[in-house]
Amino acid sequence: MSPMVGALSLLLVILAGLAVLPFFGSGYVVSFSIQVFMWMALAGSWNLISGFTGYVSFGHVAFFGVGAYTGALLITKAGWHWLLAGLAGSLPAAALALVIGYPCLRLKGPYFAIAMLGLNEVVRALVSYFEGFTGGGSGVSLPPILSIVPVYYAMGAVAMAVTLLTYRIITCQFGLRLLSIREDEMAAEVMGINTARLKLYAFLLSAVFPGIVGGFYAWYASHVEPLSVFPLLTTITMIIMCLFGGKGTVFGPVLGAGLLSVFQELVWARFLFVHQAIFGALIVGVVLLMPRGILGVLQERYRLPRTI
Amino acid sequence: MTSVQITGTMLFQLVVSGLLAGGLYALVALGLSLIFGVMRVINIAHGTLLMLGAYTTYWLFALAGMNPFVSLVVSIPILFVVGAILQKLFVHRVVNAPELSSLLLTFGISIFIANVAMLAWSADYRSVEFLTGSFLLGPIALSKPRLVSFCVALALTGLAFVFLHRTKTGKAIRATSQHRDVAQVCGINVRRIDLITFGLGAALAGAGGSLVSVMFAVYPEMGQVYVFKSFLVIVLGGAGNYPGAFFGGLLLGLVEGLASLFLTAQLSEVIAYILLVIVLLVRPTGLLGGRA
Amino acid sequence: MPDASILDIRDVTKRFGGVTAVNRCSLALTPGKIYGLIGPNGSGKTTLFNCVTGIEPRDEGEIRFKGERIDGLKPHQVARRGIGRTFQIIRVFPELTALENLLVVTREPFETARRKAQELLKFVTLERLQHEYAGNLSYGQQKLLEFIRVLMTDPELILLDEPAAGVNRTLLNELLAAIARLRDQGKTILIVEHDMKVVMGLCEAVFVLDYGEKIAEGPPGVIQTDERVIEAYFGR
Repeated sequence: MSPMVGALSLLLVILAGLAVLPFFGSGYVVSFSIQVFMWMALAGSWNLISGFTGYVSFGHVAFFGVGAYTGALLITKAGWHWLLAGLAGSLPAAALALVIGYPCLRLKGPYFAIAMLGLNEVVRALVSYFEGFTGGGSGVSLPPILSIVPVYYAMGAVAMAVTLLTYRIITCQFGLRLLSIREDEMAAEVMGINTARLKLYAFLLSAVFPGIVGGFYAWYASHVEPLSVFPLLTTITMIIMCLFGGKGTVFGPVLGAGLLSVFQELVWARFLFVHQAIFGALIVGVVLLMPRGILGVLQERYRLPRTI
Repeated sequence: MTSVQITGTMLFQLVVSGLLAGGLYALVALGLSLIFGVMRVINIAHGTLLMLGAYTTYWLFALAGMNPFVSLVVSIPILFVVGAILQKLFVHRVVNAPELSSLLLTFGISIFIANVAMLAWSADYRSVEFLTGSFLLGPIALSKPRLVSFCVALALTGLAFVFLHRTKTGKAIRATSQHRDVAQVCGINVRRIDLITFGLGAALAGAGGSLVSVMFAVYPEMGQVYVFKSFLVIVLGGAGNYPGAFFGGLLLGLVEGLASLFLTAQLSEVIAYILLVIVLLVRPTGLLGGRA
Repeated sequence: MPDASILDIRDVTKRFGGVTAVNRCSLALTPGKIYGLIGPNGSGKTTLFNCVTGIEPRDEGEIRFKGERIDGLKPHQVARRGIGRTFQIIRVFPELTALENLLVVTREPFETARRKAQELLKFVTLERLQHEYAGNLSYGQQKLLEFIRVLMTDPELILLDEPAAGVNRTLLNELLAAIARLRDQGKTILIVEHDMKVVMGLCEAVFVLDYGEKIAEGPPGVIQTDERVIEAYFGR
């Protein structure tokens, strides 16, 4: 039991450190941490559907974007408090997941991935089209944000919630069943598992958090526009973070988001003009060299439990 | 919306220009379809390869004054080689992997190449001003570059079919896409077929790029829209059904042309998506029937 | 007496494009017996299994389980009514452990499920390997795991697709004994099997398929001498 206790106390120390960070860290550190939390939540959410069931959501940023617009509009047009507006971002994201997931989760393999890719393009097109409401291509500007510290805690809470939920799922039968879909969906069906319903549940859960994160992001960034909240690159980034850390694990997305965010900050900022090329090379490297991710490899080599 | 009288001529004009665009879609989609059929890999870099073809034509035109249509004899072999290299170095390693690997891998390759292209050639919009103006056919105006591109696209598609049906290699490609394992057992070198197929797919994308360059602006991200459209074409025609890809291309062009009558370009994208999902759900083998 | 049958397949037809894989096939199973389903390769045995379990919906005909129509149900609905099956090609969940492979399919509370799973693992001597990934087990072990996974849900009707293939002699005898025991508990079992010794030794009645049609049915001894059966197997 002692490694368990050790890991737990380490976790508590890290959490305590993060809790007091805004009192000591500079604005830059806090701002950077917000982005790391955001990526942790996004990568963790993608993990819920794709890491567990194997259905590749290739347009997951759509839920983020929908949440961002909801938050932005509720703040600017309805005068909502940003916290409420951000949380409300989850509702249209969930609705979208339901409407799209119900038909599309029947599609197998690459067809599902492409349908999701298309979904994102469509949502972006619709947002641009309803100009009167969404500001079209120029987007929505929000009042300037006075302190980012509250956003720090809010975003951190979402990242933590996603991670806790992942842990909860992985330790119950729902999680096992999602994994069985990834492993062999037909066998799961024949064994009496209602795969269609479970996939939809997982999809819903995986859409809710990006919606909230999007809502908070709108407030944090003070501006949303179709190009900034619907890029395919954001989907790819959350996928690659999850993959790098280890998909289908609890802390994989956390680790991947943390490491790659730091990498991004250190390397990409210095090579502004080639950062896309570097990212492209990184993707190729992760896919070819470590598709199981850091935790996946450790898990296999040292027979670690699924709950890491 | 102001009430515009829709006349028969207008409709006919839209049908014709829709079909002209569709011929190009068919050519580009055939490349994606070949790769998808043989390897089950969705090549997200397909649009980037198209962009490379367009730049090949642009530079040959700008620097050497070469006729863009003649430049096909350069862009096609160049892209074939590029495709074969990509296959040899990277793609062959994800052929039997889950779709996530190939989607990410080809996306990574795609942004890498696009970034390098931007560094080398800047993000400026460039154009190949070769053929301008229109042929007038009674009340119908046919844009010259589009018409010629359409004819060339048709000819190239036809050539590709002849290759697939008449040559030994072409037959081996079709056999592999129908039954990979059986093809292997029958003595077909599947690895070699993969290589040729990816080269061929890239070459078709490159040819498409050369043809696009006489109609639209050339810039590093120009190819992106073609990936999703090509996939839509494959789905319409039925995966693994290569003639289906041809008709799917024409159909998509037609639908887009007619949709432009009633909808903005953005909303026609929505229509295209809904079409995709419906076809996938109701007729997963494509409108023309293919192998699931 | 159709009412007494647990599974009643009537005039079921299944086509793939122009090929008729199962052609107006009818068979009825009485509860508590072991049946064999034999026929040359490609005669439609697995397709018939797929029709019953809802994987490939039948085109024509009726399938009744305990008197109720089950054709048109989804696979998980069929399974929950009490039909379990194994596959010709093993379909365990490779990246779940042996124990998890069992736990994932049950609808019982966790503790009872766990106890039951461990009993079953012991039953096929896999208890030492319960925390091993199923994908790391040997072929025969995976086969056994798939077999006991079916038992986790306590189905009344069990369809086994070539249970003996690839299992060594010692294990096979235990497997056959286990199947016989299940019958004694009142379960009905339908086995697709190529190993005639297994079929003859275990089954009370045998159905023979050829080109998707049922060409004979009866006790194994009678079937063995049936001319049409011999013809189907040894050519004409």
